[in-house]
Amino acid sequence: MPDAVLQLHPLRALIYRLFCLLALGWLAGCAVPFDRDARLSVDVPTRAFVPDVPLIEQEAFFCGPASLAMVMQWAGSDVTQDDIAALAFSPGAGGTYLADMIGSARRSGQLAMTLHNYDDLLAEIAAGHPVIVFQNLGLGFAPVWHYGVVTAYDFDRDAVFLNSGQQDQMVMPFALFDRTWARGDYWGLVVLPPDRLPASGSEIEILQAAAALERVDAFAAAAVLYQTGAARWPDSWLWYFGLGNARYAQGDLRGARQALSRARSIAPDVPEVRANLAQVRSEL
Amino acid sequence: MGILNLTKRGVAIALSAQLVLATQAVTMAQAEMLGTEAAINKYAQHSDRSFLMGELQREDVRAEIVALGVDPAEAEARLAALSDAEVASILAQMEKDNAGADIIGILFTVFIVLLVTDILCLTRFFNFTRCVR
Repeated sequence: MPDAVLQLHPLRALIYRLFCLLALGWLAGCAVPFDRDARLSVDVPTRAFVPDVPLIEQEAFFCGPASLAMVMQWAGSDVTQDDIAALAFSPGAGGTYLADMIGSARRSGQLAMTLHNYDDLLAEIAAGHPVIVFQNLGLGFAPVWHYGVVTAYDFDRDAVFLNSGQQDQMVMPFALFDRTWARGDYWGLVVLPPDRLPASGSEIEILQAAAALERVDAFAAAAVLYQTGAARWPDSWLWYFGLGNARYAQGDLRGARQALSRARSIAPDVPEVRANLAQVRSEL
Repeated sequence: MGILNLTKRGVAIALSAQLVLATQAVTMAQAEMLGTEAAINKYAQHSDRSFLMGELQREDVRAEIVALGVDPAEAEARLAALSDAEVASILAQMEKDNAGADIIGILFTVFIVLLVTDILCLTRFFNFTRCVR
């Protein structure tokens, strides 16, 4: 995965759109058609659309923060691209690193999980979740790194719709989108409030995203996500174990005891559950 | 002599006490909560299995298996019979061989098919698979 940095030159804000159009036109000319059957191993609807994702015009260099702000505002937050930039942007690099996209979303108390293929990307859109994608809008030897938010697709119209940090929505044919996304190593990011689960990703990936919230001290968000996961996978003790730990970290000993007791009733023999339950009881 | 014996004894007692304490410290003396992340990493194996089972449900994988004359239900039963450690080592090998490749989907299919064919004595790709015939 490239630790790449994106975004345009400061004085190129105007040229950017023009260059984009040029690059897109050129690439579209030689693009191989997108083979839906070969690229997808799951059934997805012919078209899907995520309503109400705001269009935020990015400030210079801020396509990463602007993308995160769009997705988080869509979910009801009032965070701005400047708020996110303070957590994510690297001024020396003139852009936002992939890892900082994930980290800043988590430090803002959001579930953040990466995806890497069309199955997952389109499944998320079909489930009503916008997805941030990392693209190279230029060429391999002359990269124009960019983050955009995929909000819709339509196979009949051969179109992928992106909120791309400009005033208007960006529409790309699938083949062209594929080329720009392939040059970004098919890096996509789902960012959701912790009371919603992504459509893609295994139970373990979502558990790890929840544990990562604990790591950045977003314990309240972690607790909500553990509860959401426990409702979806009621037979899995790890959700209750995490819930107990997140509640303990917030000083909620009774809540922690309740969650850990639940974990123990599901998995009576796990030493970690017994140890933490004993610890909580000793402090009550 | 007496002193030497005493010293030896003292050292022996001190050492064994330390040993006992050290082993107990792991199980007993715990001053803080054990982390969620470590538990996920330690106990995630059962889900590795469900991941492989999920891969077996894929159309392209099933088609390959059927083309080899294998009943997919039998393939699932065989996969269920592998130990957690064996499942983990399949996934570790997949990850190693997939590193840097863009054709993950194809490689995964190949791995799953090889796993099944291994178990059915048609191939021997994974070193731990037991041939049933």
